[in-house]
Amino acid sequence: MIDKFLDTLVDLATTSGFAGFINNGGWKSLIMIGISFVFMYLAISKGFEPLLLLPIAFGMLLTNLPFTEMYHPDLWKITGEGIDFGKVLHNGGLLDILYLGVKLQLYPPLIFLGIGAMTDFAPLIANPKSFLLGAAAQGGIFFTFIGAALLGFSAAEAGSIAIIGGADGPTAIYVSSKLLSSGGFKIDTGTIALAAYTYMALVPIIQPPIMKGLTTKKERSIVMGQLRPVSKTEKIIFPIAVTIVISLLVPSAAPLVGMLMLGNLLKESGVCDRLVKTAQNELMNIITIFLGISVGATTTADKIVNKEFLGVILLGVAAFCLGTACGVIFGKLMCFFTKGKVNPLIGSAGVSAVPMAARVSQKVGQQENPTNYLLMHAMGPNVAGVIGSAVAAGVLLSII
Amino acid sequence: MNLLSSLFADGIDMNFEYVSSVVVTGLTVVFLCLILLVIILFLFGLVSKARRKSDEKRAESKIEEKSFDLDSAKTQIVKTVPDIEDGIEEEIVAVITAAVLQMSENSGKRLSLKSIKAAKTQRTAWAAAGIIDNTRPF
Repeated sequence: MIDKFLDTLVDLATTSGFAGFINNGGWKSLIMIGISFVFMYLAISKGFEPLLLLPIAFGMLLTNLPFTEMYHPDLWKITGEGIDFGKVLHNGGLLDILYLGVKLQLYPPLIFLGIGAMTDFAPLIANPKSFLLGAAAQGGIFFTFIGAALLGFSAAEAGSIAIIGGADGPTAIYVSSKLLSSGGFKIDTGTIALAAYTYMALVPIIQPPIMKGLTTKKERSIVMGQLRPVSKTEKIIFPIAVTIVISLLVPSAAPLVGMLMLGNLLKESGVCDRLVKTAQNELMNIITIFLGISVGATTTADKIVNKEFLGVILLGVAAFCLGTACGVIFGKLMCFFTKGKVNPLIGSAGVSAVPMAARVSQKVGQQENPTNYLLMHAMGPNVAGVIGSAVAAGVLLSII
Repeated sequence: MNLLSSLFADGIDMNFEYVSSVVVTGLTVVFLCLILLVIILFLFGLVSKARRKSDEKRAESKIEEKSFDLDSAKTQIVKTVPDIEDGIEEEIVAVITAAVLQMSENSGKRLSLKSIKAAKTQRTAWAAAGIIDNTRPF
């Protein structure tokens, strides 16, 4: 009887999660759990992108607790015929099922629908030149592509890393899940998403030194003129025109841009209040939870505690810095050609990250001139950056 | 150029030409798309500006018409002698008349002031019972 009791205790001990930390490199899971705590701290105490960072951190915690069986990386291995989705549906855990939305590229366009329903494009319509700043800031994506190539990443991996520079989480997930869908790569979508959202959360820390370093005190103090009022007709025509133009020029950007603009058209039409409220709130929140927790779940220790992830982190920060720098430098050019009418600080907002990047422009501008309100001017390049990064994503998907 | 090419020589599936083509094509297409949108929005702006100007002109001409109507409205108000309940002060009558005049100006309709009566401060027993009955479920 005592033997049986002891055997049972030993069985329980060997099958418990604690034993999992000791066996087969389980210590790496402890590191990941530590990282998830750091993210939870950043989200809760520092307020860095809590809506996404918290679900990601919790997904990371769940997936790294041994034997929880909520996410099975083996089910997502690509065989000769691609992923066996039937197997995922039959044998998958909760997080496997939720991860289907990432793998099938469903969540990013749906998040874009919600973003579109929440975004006011009036500052961009009032000052169309802002589009150029949004385009310039995408330079970070393409220049980082060079860096990734130099570090020996394949084209698909380099494209997935480079898109982090767009500072747009859904776009990064969309591009990486498409480019890395054929399998056999050193990195995966979870790695990219983790890096992208980490840097997006760190926008207020990363951007200001670059902005200050590239501009003079005089440039930062420039007060920009009032934006013209935008009519309702313009606001309604805008999403339709953008969808047609972008979809015709870069068809692979259509899912992202199309959904973004549908959300915006619902809002601006003024006749779909119920749909707008759903897109802005319930739908957006549900998808955010699903996306966050399933992306967090993919960050298993073996994928993160390696040198490739270090490469992604380094290139990701380079992409972000380059994007910010490109935007500010283009802003300086616009300042020069308009004879000082454009404050170059609004250029940094071209790296999507709505509305955080615009807020950073406003904050840095007010440090030089407390009466200066750049927020609405910065919102133009900021929302242009969303469209620009979607176009850049489409270009990468088309070329690679 | 050769030095750059040699840097990419160890890449898995990328060489210098491929990388440079991705960068140049990518930046060009992004700028091209967004410049096209700038042009379209600029044209929107021009059309909108022209429309706003014509709307303003139309509004100005309407105001002129309205001022004509306003005169007749004034005459109308002056012509009619409103039935004013005892106890209502002259200032209140003046304020109400001015408000009606303003309404005439805004709507372009001829309005006349027929009577001014003080509102009943207390409900009748029947009205009070009706309200209690209607609001009971809440």
